[in-house]
Amino acid sequence: MPRKSSAALIILALLSMPVSPVLAIDAKQLVEDGFNYWRGQASVAVVDMTLHRLDWERTMTIKAWTLGQADSLFRIIAPPKDNGNGTLKKGKEMWMFNPKINRVIKLPPSMMSQSWMGSDFSNNDLSKTDSLIKDYDHTIIGTEINQGQTVYLIESMPKPGAPVIWGMQRLKIRQDLVFLSQEFFDEDLEPVKIMTASQIQMLGGKIFPRVWRMRKVDETDQYTELVYRELEFKASLPANILTVPNLKNPRR
Amino acid sequence: MSIDVKMAWRNIWRNPRRTFLTAAAIAFASLLLIFMISFQFGSYETMINTSVKIQAGHLQIQAQGYQDKKEIRQVVPDPKKIGLILDNIPDVQAHTSRATAFALVSSRDRTYGVLVVGVDPVQESQVSTLANLIRTGEYLSSEDLDQALIGKLLAKNLNVKPGDELTILGQGRDGSIAAAIVQITGVYSSGLDNFDRSAIHIPLKTFQDVFAMQGAVHEVVVIGKSLSDVPAIKAAIVKQLDTSGQSKQLTALDWQELMPGLVEAIKLDLISGLIFYGILVLVVAFSILNTFLMAIFERTREFGVMMAIGTTPGRLTKLLLIESISLTAIGVGAGMLLGTALTFYFQVHGLDFAGSSELLSQFGITGRMYPKLTLLSLLIGPGLVMAITSLAALYPALKIRRLKPVEALTHN
Repeated sequence: MPRKSSAALIILALLSMPVSPVLAIDAKQLVEDGFNYWRGQASVAVVDMTLHRLDWERTMTIKAWTLGQADSLFRIIAPPKDNGNGTLKKGKEMWMFNPKINRVIKLPPSMMSQSWMGSDFSNNDLSKTDSLIKDYDHTIIGTEINQGQTVYLIESMPKPGAPVIWGMQRLKIRQDLVFLSQEFFDEDLEPVKIMTASQIQMLGGKIFPRVWRMRKVDETDQYTELVYRELEFKASLPANILTVPNLKNPRR
Repeated sequence: MSIDVKMAWRNIWRNPRRTFLTAAAIAFASLLLIFMISFQFGSYETMINTSVKIQAGHLQIQAQGYQDKKEIRQVVPDPKKIGLILDNIPDVQAHTSRATAFALVSSRDRTYGVLVVGVDPVQESQVSTLANLIRTGEYLSSEDLDQALIGKLLAKNLNVKPGDELTILGQGRDGSIAAAIVQITGVYSSGLDNFDRSAIHIPLKTFQDVFAMQGAVHEVVVIGKSLSDVPAIKAAIVKQLDTSGQSKQLTALDWQELMPGLVEAIKLDLISGLIFYGILVLVVAFSILNTFLMAIFERTREFGVMMAIGTTPGRLTKLLLIESISLTAIGVGAGMLLGTALTFYFQVHGLDFAGSSELLSQFGITGRMYPKLTLLSLLIGPGLVMAITSLAALYPALKIRRLKPVEALTHN
């Protein structure tokens, strides 16, 4: 009996295989390519971040450096009150710097799920950016047409045992590798928040969405919007930029 | 005294030892119930008072929705105006304002996310016991400096002592970055682990500067003259908020709404207590039932004789009921007397719970406990015993109505 059932399992497994392995590889490749297209090798950008709430709105201007899939530095340059506040992210670790108290604080793991600077992005959203590529299996579940281009709908499920925050993610990636949206689901596969891109145009030498909006799914008039003012993609960054000493250095 | 009562009384004392034992069982049950219920009530009051005095206060005035979301933008914009309202409510003993925010707090080498509470050093000491809980170092000075009080467990986690500096990094009311360096002046220990692990207290003015509060606060905390004044104070506040047109933005919450966990814990304890008391009363009731049933079997011949000389069954039932009620009354009376004495003794001297379990210390019960004798705690137990035993006695009393005089006479 056990032999029979295990044989049945193998047959079942074989039967379920032909969900086109070709497509599965494609999905993984597509997500990785899209992600790399989005991040570039390295980039320097100036972004306006607007926190929008029902009765209130606030905009900060942030200068951002990114390198590869996992490292970045954000520094607030306006309003003047917050000028010089920075966040450095290397791998999975994060540090914050405040010029008023002139201290660098390393974020404890317990704070990772807290919101970053009061926005709808959590520290995890920033620190685990590359988790999408490393920790998830991707499947193309459909396509649609957007402005004459094919858009792939991708469902990303966490790999077994991967240290992930989300129970599922759904992505929309255009055939020219532009990310259109990323939707985050909890363990019960209920939607939690969604990030959407718009105003796709030439930016930093490639087609890129100028506006990104992160919104909690159950709150309609509460979101965080990122608008790129400047964006420049580079082959690499000087080695001293993504370092703790530079986090404290407000001149750059 | 009617002949029935006289007969009943004599019948009771026909077997003094049995009567004494039965009455003693009833008395013991009553005594136990009075003491335990009083003790429960007393411990609830201790729990409530401790929690009220350490943290929540009897009442708080907050922005609508702050209790659920605790967002820094949900403020009481003008605490002075609320203060004026409170000053005119006679049952209010004291009040103070607090502001709270979640922030990163770091020592030299460690960082934790904790609640930063801004308190008015002078008024706070009239409302809460914070000033008396300082174990090392000192309470906040009345001038507004960059000082902080820290809970004992958090101090251990951050590895700091009075004199050390703490860095606070969070977000202000206007969304700007809030950052400050404060010096620890004192370490407090309340016995409530959660409170000692998760918060630091800084002067309200400092808080308002750092977190860009523009004079606003999050909670106006009110202490009434006693716990029983709370509903009246609440009604008065709600009315004042209504007439001044602030009831849309602000709300008054009493301690039950502020500490739903405590209310749940009390309910749970009360229910488990009630189950225990129910079982106790049931056991006593069965022993009474047994006693009366035995008496009837013994006295069947006697009842036969009485019926033969013309006693009606109704009168016999009445006789037996008077007997059982008197017996119960003796027991309950003695139990109430002894119970009151015992409870009162401990109400004055207290029961030592030093080194109590972790569970109790969560609710601030660390030292002596005092039962609290009230009319309610005095009457619930004995009343229950009285009712159940009377019910138990009803069965034998009705049973004798079915006796046939001739059969009863020949019964041995």
